Amino acid sequence: MEMVSIVLAFVIFFGSLILIFWEKINRSIVAISGAVLMIGMGKVLGFYNEELAIEAIDFNTLGLLLGMMMLVAMLEPTGFFEYLAVLAARSSKGKPIRLFILLGIITTILSMFLDNVTTVVLIAPVTILISEILGISPLPYLMSEALLSNVGGVATLVGDPPNVLIGSAAGLSFNDFLLYSLPIVLVSWAGALLTLRILFKKDLSKRPRRTKAVMKLNPAETLNHPQTARQILIVLGMAILFFFIHHALHVEPSLIALGAAAVSLLWIQPDLQEVLKRVEWSVLIFFGALFIMVGGLEHSGALRKIVNLFDTVTGMDPVLFGVLVIWIVAIFSAVVDNVPITIALIPVIQGLGESGMDIAPLWWALAFGAGFGGTGTIIGSSANIIVATLSEKTRMPITSGIWIKRGLPVMIVTCTIASILYALAFPLF
Amino acid sequence: MNVASCMKHHVVSIPASTTIREAAALFVKKHIGLLPVVDKNDKPIGAIGIHDLLKLEMPDFVNFVMDVDFVHDFGAVEDTRPPAATLNKTVRSLMRPIITVDEDCGLLRAYSLMLQQNLHDIPVVSKDGKLIGIASRVDIGVTILKAWEKAE
Repeated sequence: MEMVSIVLAFVIFFGSLILIFWEKINRSIVAISGAVLMIGMGKVLGFYNEELAIEAIDFNTLGLLLGMMMLVAMLEPTGFFEYLAVLAARSSKGKPIRLFILLGIITTILSMFLDNVTTVVLIAPVTILISEILGISPLPYLMSEALLSNVGGVATLVGDPPNVLIGSAAGLSFNDFLLYSLPIVLVSWAGALLTLRILFKKDLSKRPRRTKAVMKLNPAETLNHPQTARQILIVLGMAILFFFIHHALHVEPSLIALGAAAVSLLWIQPDLQEVLKRVEWSVLIFFGALFIMVGGLEHSGALRKIVNLFDTVTGMDPVLFGVLVIWIVAIFSAVVDNVPITIALIPVIQGLGESGMDIAPLWWALAFGAGFGGTGTIIGSSANIIVATLSEKTRMPITSGIWIKRGLPVMIVTCTIASILYALAFPLF
Repeated sequence: MNVASCMKHHVVSIPASTTIREAAALFVKKHIGLLPVVDKNDKPIGAIGIHDLLKLEMPDFVNFVMDVDFVHDFGAVEDTRPPAATLNKTVRSLMRPIITVDEDCGLLRAYSLMLQQNLHDIPVVSKDGKLIGIASRVDIGVTILKAWEKAE
């Protein structure tokens, strides 16, 4: 009977994963169906039920994501993102390389605290605008924004979904990420920027035809609601301050994020329907359903079996194993969504910990692999897909061929830097 | 009153083999906003509007940036011209399905159709489907208003 449960849970989980990666059916629909099937079968065979499923959901992750999504949903319509991009354009005085670096820095900093997709969705249209009035190709700027937002997101606990998942599962604080991830990400980011600078050398050396037009852009005019923007930025700033001390206060990051959302809602009192419309519910549902499926995998005993498969690695050199994790996770993340990979690997790593391995460094290996791997291909991360989709509506569509020529080198450079620094910093983890 | 009573009888139309460059010249020469595309028997098979040509020069960002009010100078875009390869293509690649009305179509029906389909001119066809005229919003509008003179 136990064997039947294991096989069935295994088939449901990996069947769903394959369907998710297949991308013919919406991933959230697949995940909901898989989760329901897992609970149903679990009840029939007695390894899983509704209560266990609810327990399996990491509400800390969902709360953190929801809180940040609501903050961004309120910040989005104020024009703040456009404001920053226009400011960058003016400060660059229309010089391509300066513009390239400034837009790169803005996207990176934003994506360290906000969702990558939102950052890119809001910065990319203004980027197209700026490059068109300058008379230069938007390609280097658009691609760099997606790639650098992926890289930058790895730096913080709230920067991208895999980090939220890892932080919650491993009990890592906001400061842990600043201490262990940020320095490595900074070096990798510089490597990525330099790589892009070299790869786009030809495009970036072209002189813009009309630099004057950029100087006539007025950043203040892009701010539709300066007062609201100010209010949300104050709350966001407070939230980030609280993130720094959440561990000392014994407060989960999700409470801070939801608290910030609550304060903003109270302060601004926006049209709630409009705010809720901008929240990406399908993402939250996808996460919840994946948690339920992994819970089923765990309770059936299937996860134990998978962890046992890794028994051979316990004898392996831990530094080498960590570097292997970076690359294997990166390669998978380059071709498929890194969220299911992370959700599936977390219990495996926890299992390895239970069998006596020091798993503290492995969490960082997972974070680097999942984050940097997403740069490799056009489908590697949601930010990439968004930029590519946007570019399809322009005269210069980004094809997967164009992407791989720039994205893959960035992935290799960042993963190499991360691997070297990981090996060097290993005793510190 | 029907649309035949107010339409212009002289319609400038083009075959599908016309190039975009030739069509553009015709818009300029005739100072018009819509060119019906017809087959050998004068039956309309599509239409090309002045906007379809202008779209070729429109910058991409106007499709993404909601409010372009803060862009005081369109810079390089202002003097970008469509590439020769595009201009030498035939209108077949650019034309859209044509919406026509029969000659006995009522004025209000014709006007509503133009509002809903966002048309500024509407081609008129005879019973056997041949292009026989074209009416603008103004042509139709003033004819409707004319009836008001007789109103109590």
